[in-house]
Order: sequence, then structure tokens, then C-alpha cells
Amino acid sequence: MGRGVLELIGLSRRFGEVIALDQLSFTVPPGQVFGFLGPNGAGKTTAMRAIVGVAAVDSGEVRWNGQLIDQAARSRIGYMPEERGLYPAMQVTEQLSYLARLHGLSAPRARAAAAAWSERLGIGDRGQAKIETLSLGNQQRVQLAAALVHDPELLVLDEPFSGLDPAGVDAMSEVLAERAAAGVTMLFSSHQLDLVEHLCESVAIIHRGALVAYGKVADLTASGPLRVFVRVAGDEAGRWALGLGDIAVVEKVTGGTAVLGLRNRADAQAVLDRARAAGPVEEFGFVRRKLSEVFRDAVGSPAPAMSAPGASA
Amino acid sequence: MTRHWWQLTGLVAGREIAERARAKSFWIASVVLLVAVAAGVLIPAAVHGSRSTARVGLRSGSLAVVLVGDSEVLVKQKPVAGAGSPAATLAGILSQVGGLQKLYAELPPSAAARITSSGIALPIHGLTRPARGLASRITGLAAAILIYVIILTYGIRITIGVGEEKSSRVVEVLLTTLRPTQLLAGKVIGMGSLALTQVVILVGTYFALGYAVGSSAVRGAADGVVLAGALWLLLGYMFYCTAYAAAGSLINRQADAYNASLPLQLPLILGYVLAYTAVYSSNVSWFYHLLGFVPFTAPVVMPVLVAVGAAPAWQMALSVAIIVVSTVAMARLAGKIYERAILRTGSRLRVRQVLRSAS
Repeated sequence: MGRGVLELIGLSRRFGEVIALDQLSFTVPPGQVFGFLGPNGAGKTTAMRAIVGVAAVDSGEVRWNGQLIDQAARSRIGYMPEERGLYPAMQVTEQLSYLARLHGLSAPRARAAAAAWSERLGIGDRGQAKIETLSLGNQQRVQLAAALVHDPELLVLDEPFSGLDPAGVDAMSEVLAERAAAGVTMLFSSHQLDLVEHLCESVAIIHRGALVAYGKVADLTASGPLRVFVRVAGDEAGRWALGLGDIAVVEKVTGGTAVLGLRNRADAQAVLDRARAAGPVEEFGFVRRKLSEVFRDAVGSPAPAMSAPGASA
Repeated sequence: MTRHWWQLTGLVAGREIAERARAKSFWIASVVLLVAVAAGVLIPAAVHGSRSTARVGLRSGSLAVVLVGDSEVLVKQKPVAGAGSPAATLAGILSQVGGLQKLYAELPPSAAARITSSGIALPIHGLTRPARGLASRITGLAAAILIYVIILTYGIRITIGVGEEKSSRVVEVLLTTLRPTQLLAGKVIGMGSLALTQVVILVGTYFALGYAVGSSAVRGAADGVVLAGALWLLLGYMFYCTAYAAAGSLINRQADAYNASLPLQLPLILGYVLAYTAVYSSNVSWFYHLLGFVPFTAPVVMPVLVAVGAAPAWQMALSVAIIVVSTVAMARLAGKIYERAILRTGSRLRVRQVLRSAS
């Protein structure tokens, strides 16, 4: 495998009776914002801790640049652990430059990087403050700066968005996109699926320690049951669609727009013809699934309300 | 242990020193300790100077008399046949030695001996300085107390300090670039050398003041006793650094630090308490000698044994060898525990559990 590629190969880990990782394998390509999803307890944190080397696995291996990841490679990782932690009584700039130096930067370069990242993340004026005196949101920014300060080639971020205000979310999203554009390989976990859908190019979804969905967000959301949305002028209740019979099932009607489930792509034209026969068509298109739907289907949780077939408003 | 290994370890040690030296409490504690040490020298010197009456001890059986004053005189006297009861003989001696003591204090020993052998009526057989005088014993006891206090004070800091990364969870960030043993070694070296600097300043102050005011605890002591105190302070401190680090490795919360380090305090307290009895006795018990070989008690026991003149060279050498070997072993154990403990979170680990997973 090529440069910048992170590979998880058959990672397994048991904690007593609990299986945290079950033959988990997937690949993270460089230069993409890559999301790592799964319900609570799915094994995301265990997998990420295994990548950065703070948790052992029972079997399997992690490869980076085609080689088993070792201590030298790990010093090129920027890691944001699930349980945030920095030295509470240490000043922000001191802390960041200390971490940068531990990752091999010279003292002057470390100080410069610490200042630059503090500035970039909007905490430039808090350089002399002790971490423990900062708000949680600002502590989170320092934590991200700590993961970025040594210009890592691989970013492993566990729930980087949790606890951030909207401005913080924007700043974090911007940094992730920019780092990905710079060619960094990145894996971040999140429960904010709308955000992930908006931000990520690709995702891996795991459940009970095993991979259940993987790929580009565009491909995943385009997959699954075929649906169209149609709006016919003057028919607020979508009555025109009741006569469609076996070519389409009405899933719901909201504000005059009907969402119809189809068996195949060819039926879409037949539906459109019927709609035009009923009146002027104001809206027509294929429905993309939301990532949250992909997620629910993949992890098999109880059916959410919106996909109940045949429901109408 | 490559250059890179030591570089990172050095960075960790540097942070420990810088962060601790930055804290106001560090400087306050340093000044308080310094004042306490100065008071410990100056107050006894002031009190001692006014006490001119000699204390007298009679060693059972023989009729040797130990006189203790500003300087010491040990008079050994053979029993004289028909001279009456030992008490009467003693009274006779005492009537004489008041002047004798003054003489002795002012004259070199050889001259004192000449005068006493010719000019005194009582059949004094000889006049000798004791091999280890009270001043030396006091120095030995002072060294034991100092070592006891220093280890207890700084040891617990190491336990708490070692738990710092675990309790704040910063350890996960650090472990992407540091090995656990590097982190532990750097921390102990950093905290240890800072404390040692402080101790050297304190002890230096003690001696400087002691010489300046002529404190008997400093001036009258044989150099060997002072050296022994310094040697076992250093050895004991290093050994206990590793032991307290091992205790710190077992805990996740700082609140557990006192419980985890309690077992380490018990042997120290034992050696310390026994030091008070051993330092005044002429016959040190075999048990106290035995404690001199145990690395946990040797740091407080050996200076006392040396001070009372009860430690032969082979015992000193063996004790040093044991404590050095134990320090290395304890450092390894601490590293192993830390490494195992750090890669899991949760409740306090049991030593046995760690050792089992390490093997």
C-alpha cells in the first residue's frame, strides 16, 4: 500500500466477555476527511487507541505507509483522545511547545508552532493562561492544537466535535478540511451524523467491533431503496399518487410533496408521466438517503419513524 | 538507550523541574524548610551554651565514668581494693574531674594525659577520648532524622507526581511519542534532582551554620559520620524514589497516593524510632544490625550504626551493595508496573496482577 495509507487489518480485542473489536479491517486513504462512525460501545475508541499504540489488541495489525506502525511512525501521529487530558496547571503555550518538542521539533520551531496554532484556533490571547482556567470549549481547542502542533502526517481524533459551540464546530471543520487538503491522513469519530455527512468524503461505520458500512459518503447515500419526490401543483394531499398501484408506494406526503418508493429506476419515468397527467409538476427528483439513514440501516437499530412505509400526511 | 531515548527523557525531566520551580508553593516550602534547618542548628546551640553542668553516666560493672559537657572526658578507672563502695569511689572521682574537665577542654589530649597521670591523687588509670563521642552520635541521629524527613516529604511527592499523567489523562497524548519507561524515568529524574538540589542546599546551610556557631552536633563529629550521613541520604533517597514511583504507578487517582505509599513509610518509621534507642546504647542489638542490610531501613539505620561506631567496614560495604542492587531492581519493577498500568484504565491495580501480566 502506498504512502499515507492507514490500514487496519483484522483487529480483535476482548475485554473479558465483551468483544470490543471483531476482525475489524478497513483502509483510510490520505487526503480525505474520513469519518469513523458507530453506536456507543461499537469499538471506535478501542480501535483508535490501538492505532496510536495506547491499547493493545489481541490480534491483527495496523499498517501505515505499508509498514507495521512503530514508535517512530507513531510520533508522526496527532492524537486527540476521547478522554481529554492535558497538564491542568501548565500554561497553554508552554504545554503546546513541550508536546511539539517531544515530537521532535527544535525549541524555537516548537514555540513558533505553538503560537501559530493557538492563533489559528482562536486562543492566541490565552497563551499565558493555565489550561484549568480555560472554558471547556477552549480546552478543547488547546487539545486540538496539541494534536496538530507537530504537523502530523496522520490525525486520529476521537470525538473532536463533542462539546464545541457552533463557532468551534466551524473552526474545527475548517481545520480538518484544510489538513485533508494538505494531504494528511485523518480518521475522526463522531456522533453528529449531519455534520459528518457534510464534512466527510468517506466513512467507515462499525457495529459491535466489526465493519458494517464503508465507502464514499456520496456512494453510501445514493445506495439503498430507490425513491423519488414529486410535487404536483394544486394537489396538497398528493391524491394523484394514490392511483399509481404497483409501480410505486407512497411513503409520505409533506406539504404537497410526495415521497415514493420505487422498485427500479425505469419506473421513475412512468411516475413522472402520471404526475404530469395529474397536473403541472413543480418538483421531481431522486431522494438521496441521509447518512443517518445509512447509519441506522447498517447498525440495525429500531426503525426510525420516517421510513415507515405507506405513511401519509 | 539511544541518544534519542535520553533526549526525550531529558525533555520530560526538564518539564518536571520547570513546572515545579514555577509554583509559588515550591519556593514557600523551600524557605520554610530552610528556616527550620537554621532553627534546628541555632536554637540547640543557644540552649547548649548556657548549660555548664556536666552530666555523668556510670557504666554498669566497670567503674568507667563518662563525662559530658562542652567537651567530653571518659575516665576509666580500675577498682581499688578496699577503697569502699563503687558509689563512694565515684563521688571521689567526681570531686576531681570538675577541674579535670576544664583542663582537658583547654589542652591538647597528649598534654591532658600527661597532667592527669602525674598530678591527680586518685589512681586514674588512663584518660581517653571515646571512639565515638556524643557529638558524633548526635550527628548520626540528626542524619537519620534528616534522611527520614526528606524521604517521607519528597517520596509522597513522587507518588503523586507519577500519578499526574494518569489522573489528568494527558498520558494518552504523550504515549504517541514517549515510551512509558521514558516518561517514568524522566519524571523521577526531574523531581528527584530538583529535590536533591533543595536537600543539598539545606544540608549545606546546616553545616555552614553549624560551623559558624560551633554547634557540637557538627563540630565534634568525626568526618566519617558526616560522610556516612551524606552517603546513605543519597542512596536511600534514590532507592525510595524508585519505590515511591512504583507505588505511584499502581494508582489512577491522586487520592490513592497516600494509601499506596503507606507500606513504604512503615519500615522508615521503624528504623527511625529505633534510632533513638540505638544511638545512646553501647551495645546495638543484632536486630538493628540486621535492619542495616534491609534497603528499606538501611538509610536511617546505617548512619546511626556508623555514628556509634558499631558498623564494621564489611557491613557498610554490604549494605551499600544491597541498596544499589535494590535500587536498580526497584526501578525496573516501577517501569514494568507503570507500563502495564498505563495501558489500561480503571481501578487501582494489584501488584500481583501487574507482575503476572508482565511475565
